Amino acid sequence: MSESRLHWAWPVLAAALGCGIWALVASRLPEVLLPGPLEVLVAASAHHERLLAAAGNTLTASVLGLALAMSWGGLGAVVFLRSRWLEVALYPYALLIQTVPIVAIAPLLVVWLGYGPPVAVVTAAIVAFFPVLTSANLGLRSASTAQVELLRLHGATWHQELLKLRLPASLPYLFAGLRTAVGLSVIGAVVGEFVGSSGLPPCLGYLVIQSARSAETALTFATIAACAGLALVLFAIVRLVEARIIGPWHGEVR
Amino acid sequence: MCAAEALAFEGVGFAFGGRQPVLEGVDVQVPAGGLCAIVGVSGCGKSTLLRLAAGLLQPTAGRIRGAGDRRAFVFQSPTLLPWRTVAANVRLPLEVLGDLEGAGPRVAAALARVGLSEVATALPRTLSGGMQMRVSLARALVTRPRLLLLDEPFSSLDALTRRRLQEEFLSLRRDLGITTVLVTHDVDEAAWLSDQVVVLGGRPATVQAELTVDLPRPRTRELLHDPALGRISRAIEEAL
Repeated sequence: MSESRLHWAWPVLAAALGCGIWALVASRLPEVLLPGPLEVLVAASAHHERLLAAAGNTLTASVLGLALAMSWGGLGAVVFLRSRWLEVALYPYALLIQTVPIVAIAPLLVVWLGYGPPVAVVTAAIVAFFPVLTSANLGLRSASTAQVELLRLHGATWHQELLKLRLPASLPYLFAGLRTAVGLSVIGAVVGEFVGSSGLPPCLGYLVIQSARSAETALTFATIAACAGLALVLFAIVRLVEARIIGPWHGEVR
Repeated sequence: MCAAEALAFEGVGFAFGGRQPVLEGVDVQVPAGGLCAIVGVSGCGKSTLLRLAAGLLQPTAGRIRGAGDRRAFVFQSPTLLPWRTVAANVRLPLEVLGDLEGAGPRVAAALARVGLSEVATALPRTLSGGMQMRVSLARALVTRPRLLLLDEPFSSLDALTRRRLQEEFLSLRRDLGITTVLVTHDVDEAAWLSDQVVVLGGRPATVQAELTVDLPRPRTRELLHDPALGRISRAIEEAL
């Protein structure tokens, strides 16, 4: 068997084996505790309209949150590059955002924003912010001394240095950060929906809680799978864009 | 291309941020169109002297005359921007200077001069080390500099490529006659390429010796085996 076929065959085999064991264990337990893979599929197909609508809203919240994180994180990194003083003053607080559990912040956001999608957007943005900020911060400083000197030799302004050198040089770092941030943004959105959704508009976070409470465990499983699927799709899109934008000059995107 | 300009270091000294000086009392005159090699052991301050001439650093003592603003710098590594094509890399200094009139033909001419017209649209990573160095040379020439500053440009190349590039450099210099300062730690390279050799040494670095290279031009490959060149190389080594 060729190397590339093996590459696909093993994970598929592992998944099949995992599902087999899962089905075997599930068959000995009540469905409320652990539904089998087939029951989950049945539930997913029975509720596919609800699931799709919920996934669409959670996707929107994740993407909006990610966009917020990218703009604020990117802006923050540029400001830090411009002013060492501001970096020293503010970086510890950026770190603080990372250390406060998002679940603890979410109720506060409900107080401020009320129930609804904005809470999920903000929680998604908060968790995705830090990786974007740190990777952009690192990336903007990644140009070599000689590259910086090359531009300064010809009297480049700060803006020219930023646009012609530092921003393009930061892209590989930024995409690495984005790959982490994109998964986190889905987690952030779902956590925001746990706390800040009243079920309308439908969303995955609310569906997880509601189905678990009403003992529709198979639907809970299907919803969790949809959350993971969402993160995977977003991750794949980032990889695709990354390969397209920096692949040609940065080499193979691994 | 452009009228060459003389360069003079007059009692130049330099210290990084109030620390122990790196250079002290450096007096060197490079006549217009001349090629001055600066030789010294690693870390002696040769590159600092070059950066002073480039205006990237300001002397803390003395002054530098004739450096003007029409100067080009060739770094030890090619220092190309990997996301830009070869032509776009050569164009970069013109963009920064805002000197885009006739930029296209000037870039093409600079690339033709180093024999790289065919790879104008290629990305740097697809080129060999020697080709990347030639792109870097074209980027230096595109601004029509009056002063060319080279920081060990051949040191990272393999022996064969290095010799070929040195010959190309000699022929380029013959055509353009730009005042040039070449920093190198290769004694034979200094003797073979230059008109004068300045040996830096000590801490802080001062001029230990200044030698005139009175070998005939054009400098051919045969000259490398000439006893006269050997004598100059030995004199440099003794001064080091």
